[in-house]
Amino acid sequence: MSAARLFAWSGLAALAWLARGLVLPIFLAAALAYLLSPALVWADTLAIRRSVAVGALFTVIIAVLVIAGFLLGPGMFAEGAALMDRMPGLARQIDTGLDAVVRELGESAPAIRRLLPEGGHWVQRFVLDRGPGEPGDLFEHAGHLFLLAILIPFFAFFLLRDMHRLIAVAMDRLPPQHVETSVAVWRELNGVIGRYIRGVVLDGLVVGALAALGLWAARVPYPLLLGVFAGLANVVPFVGPLLSAGAAGLVVVLTPGQGLAGVGRVVALFLVIKVLDDTIIQPFTIGRSVHLHPALLLGSVVVGSHALGVLGMIIAVPVATVLQETVRLLLEHRRVLARRVRRRGPERLVA
Amino acid sequence: MFEQPLPRWLGWAADPEQARRAPFLARSPLFAGLPRRLLARLATRFFEKVYHADDVVFEEGDPGRALFVVVEGSVEITRATTQGPYVLNTLGPGDAFGELALIDDFPRSATARVATPGRLLILYKSDFDALMEGNARIAVVVMRNLSRLLAIYARRNPLAPEVGPGAEAAGPL
Repeated sequence: MSAARLFAWSGLAALAWLARGLVLPIFLAAALAYLLSPALVWADTLAIRRSVAVGALFTVIIAVLVIAGFLLGPGMFAEGAALMDRMPGLARQIDTGLDAVVRELGESAPAIRRLLPEGGHWVQRFVLDRGPGEPGDLFEHAGHLFLLAILIPFFAFFLLRDMHRLIAVAMDRLPPQHVETSVAVWRELNGVIGRYIRGVVLDGLVVGALAALGLWAARVPYPLLLGVFAGLANVVPFVGPLLSAGAAGLVVVLTPGQGLAGVGRVVALFLVIKVLDDTIIQPFTIGRSVHLHPALLLGSVVVGSHALGVLGMIIAVPVATVLQETVRLLLEHRRVLARRVRRRGPERLVA
Repeated sequence: MFEQPLPRWLGWAADPEQARRAPFLARSPLFAGLPRRLLARLATRFFEKVYHADDVVFEEGDPGRALFVVVEGSVEITRATTQGPYVLNTLGPGDAFGELALIDDFPRSATARVATPGRLLILYKSDFDALMEGNARIAVVVMRNLSRLLAIYARRNPLAPEVGPGAEAAGPL
């Protein structure tokens, strides 16, 4: 490698390191672009210029968000404000309950007292105190969220508008004899990722709507907030549905007058949603985009969680699917190349 | 035959590149009979690539994963013989080759080499399969056209003679 090339690669690596903060917005923007791409394929069939189509699409999305904000915003804001007001009281209630359980456990097994001391203020310490305490921290968190809200649509806009040009440039630079196989592999993976992302989002929307409606019918407080949480948590395999059911169950436990019957209703509701999701919703939304063995699925989620936390759990399934598909395609490629050696007679008529 | 997909007053928003693809594909025997709406949908799935003279598009024995349509330039289809490569056919604008990759995964039966520089449209099997899943009409029309091409080739070459001087022109690849 020449010194100039080495210098150029080192510069690129340094630039990539400096811009590492952009990885998450670009990743989320790519997911948004995958989500919206079918609308642009439809615009392509009408021979509409990409820049016009993307501009119109973003205008429609902004209009839908504004209308949804007007319709659902006040309700969600009221639920959020009420929850924030009740939070310290709820934390005290949960801590008192937990202390009672620890005390009982300590009486039956004294060794537990050393592990779980009474008066641990669990929720206070592990949930409430984790939030941004100083006003400066609060502004920093709000600033990050604001930056994400600006950067994600910004990158998605340009990905949607210019991706076909970037692909054309990349294809023209590929050696001609490698174009067919390398781009075919990329097209297959692209199809899998696109179907998975669109499927997961649609699945989350349906599950969130079902949860919100069900909780509202069961007279559980904060149905909109809990429904939105159920839809978002559904993106995380295995853990998501448990978290959303747990959050709704906790709200019921801490609501006077709901009792054990309320908890039973919530558990039954989330069980029904899970069964509906596995048997009817997912086959329609995610469908055949993911063919992972359940053990591989669980393993990928555990590895993703260890590597990148919640983000790792979310991207574990598509990453494992892409790896599995790549291996399958490479093995298939090898099998076809092996046929070069033993060419058969009858097929030569037409193939 | 092909009316403008957008009304005249929206001409400023039209993409000329996409607008010319569907009428161009309609001229290929493989896509003959497809309505404009489906041709426009099919056209969005094609990639375009510039090729230079002597570029090898694919070699005999390579895995077949895509169909190619010549937009500009010409492509020679050759097959290896004991006397060296034998030119089976020379394809020009509107001609398609590599179509059997859309229906099976057998290796390529001939080599495609660019004779004069130009551009090719490329349709990948996975994209064609995805399109067929939602549009049975595309599958029926394209498969019928492909069967017709195969039938013509089989009638011309009933015994599938060894390739060499005197053999018929190339069939589907």
